[in-house]
Amino acid sequence: MKLNRRNAIAVGASALVVVGGYEAFRLLRPHYPPTPYDDLLDRLSDRDAARQLGAAFLRTHPDFTPGAAARVLRRKVGTRDLSATVEDEAAHGELTEAGRWIIPQTLAGLCALAART
Amino acid sequence: MNFIDARQVPSGTELTPDLAIIGGGPAGISLALALARTRIRMLLLESGGMDFDAATQALCQGDETGVRYIPLDATRLRYLGGCSNHWGGWSRPLDEIDFEKRDWLPWSGWPFPRNELEPFYPRAQQLIEAGSFLYDNLAKGELPGSLLPLGPGGLYNSFFQFSQWRGNAEHLPTAFGHRYANDLKQIPNLQLMLHANVTGLRLAKDVRWVDHLDVATLSGVKFTVKPRHTVVACGGIENARLLLASKDVMTAGVGNQNDVVGRFFADHAIPRETATLVVFGGEIAGFYKTNLNARGAHFRAALSPTDRFRRERHLLGSLPTVEEHVQLDLLGKAAVATTSAALGVDASSAHAYSLGTGIELAPDPERRLILTSARDALGMPRLKLNMTISNREFDDYRETLIELGRQLLAAKSGMLRLDRRSRAEWLSVMDWGNHHMGTTRMHDDPKQGVVDTNSQVHGLANLFIAGSSVFPTYGASNPTLNLVALTLRLAEHLKGVLR
Repeated sequence: MKLNRRNAIAVGASALVVVGGYEAFRLLRPHYPPTPYDDLLDRLSDRDAARQLGAAFLRTHPDFTPGAAARVLRRKVGTRDLSATVEDEAAHGELTEAGRWIIPQTLAGLCALAART
Repeated sequence: MNFIDARQVPSGTELTPDLAIIGGGPAGISLALALARTRIRMLLLESGGMDFDAATQALCQGDETGVRYIPLDATRLRYLGGCSNHWGGWSRPLDEIDFEKRDWLPWSGWPFPRNELEPFYPRAQQLIEAGSFLYDNLAKGELPGSLLPLGPGGLYNSFFQFSQWRGNAEHLPTAFGHRYANDLKQIPNLQLMLHANVTGLRLAKDVRWVDHLDVATLSGVKFTVKPRHTVVACGGIENARLLLASKDVMTAGVGNQNDVVGRFFADHAIPRETATLVVFGGEIAGFYKTNLNARGAHFRAALSPTDRFRRERHLLGSLPTVEEHVQLDLLGKAAVATTSAALGVDASSAHAYSLGTGIELAPDPERRLILTSARDALGMPRLKLNMTISNREFDDYRETLIELGRQLLAAKSGMLRLDRRSRAEWLSVMDWGNHHMGTTRMHDDPKQGVVDTNSQVHGLANLFIAGSSVFPTYGASNPTLNLVALTLRLAEHLKGVLR
């Protein structure tokens, strides 16, 4: 392709669209203040929904301590895929209730962390 | 031969059949049909007529204490066909575990295993008109829709079948009275008498034999039936009442020398809206929500605990079924979005449903019928029911639901919310099945049962009881198919006894 004026404009416009799209996505997606648990919370696809579920969990678990819970969660999840962890927990009956919903313990912990931050 | 109206029988008459069958419900009618064209001369005595009559129905009135239950004159029907005149047609054989004696369930166990009833199920299935005998085998063949995926564990996709009155335009379940009236009229060795109320089982002086039956009509006629053998088949409440009220020779009542008659009353607790089931992948197959026809059966799916799971966890039976589609609240939507995303599955078309269930009650001698001083229009003592349900029943079912929730997550197919926790919550949504069982329970030991393994009342050579009142442990399955099968087994026994 010759680098004539027309092509230069086209390349420039495309680049603007890509960069603009990325920036728009970055600006429009929910932003949360940094927390000490972002390595864990980033595993949640929708932190607002998780917060609601976490708040329900906390109503029946008032002794929940974020720091201690985070240590346990890091041990459990580590670098593993979240889906593999919760699948394992379902298979082994490591479940709990949040707002009467039966959910895997790790997910409940992540949601509770989200609700506390 | 047309049915006889007992009101036309002259007072003082004495009838002498080989076999008197007291009660024209599913048990009494099945027994008469099974003994058709034998040499046994049968007389079937039905309290009501062909249709509902308020004065006759009022004979069923009684009192209640304890947990709220259905009024005694509303939980059954007193005319030919009995309770089959208002049943829903839900049918399912009992599970093997229901017959087992379980150390963790006091008073449990039948005197024989399920395979003793197996030969009688096919004919019972024909009589209730529930199509091919498939039940859980439906899961093995082609179905009009997909089974709900469940991870390995304690529950499985199981099936009810439904009675469907063949040739009836309204597709009602089989109402035995109207359905089999013509068949009964064709039986040469049967006389069927309507409006004939048996008010007493009168024993011989040696207390080993029923000598005769007192019969009365609401119009004032009184006469006597002196049969060689008698089968009481008036239903799980009235069977006990008749035995308890017949106390001129045995002062505690016939067959009640060990104070067992009327105890162990049971029904199926049917709490509604017990849980919310979410299916991630969209709508659940139609046969979970309603009855469908396929492969020669009219069926509906349930989610049953396996025998193995119940043995391991020491659980009573239950049969959760889908009730109706429900809308999730904000928390529910958050739970589904968060959980499905964590599992890596798409739940954008998820559907939610409420779950109801039938729950087996644990045998309880204090859940019982006793006579009161009040009398009905025929002078029979009325009953009082003390109804109980312990927290164990709710706890067992809750544990079953938790396992279902686990299996849904393990299969990544859905999730579950437990909608009832406290006893008050459970009781607030409680319904009952009108499945009266246990009051003349079967046990080889006369101290623990009223009838023996052949349904013969302990100590009385010519008195038998048919129906679900002899069930010593109940299971979660609806009783009609099972009590008809058990009655057919009794018919085989009587053929030998009356030879």
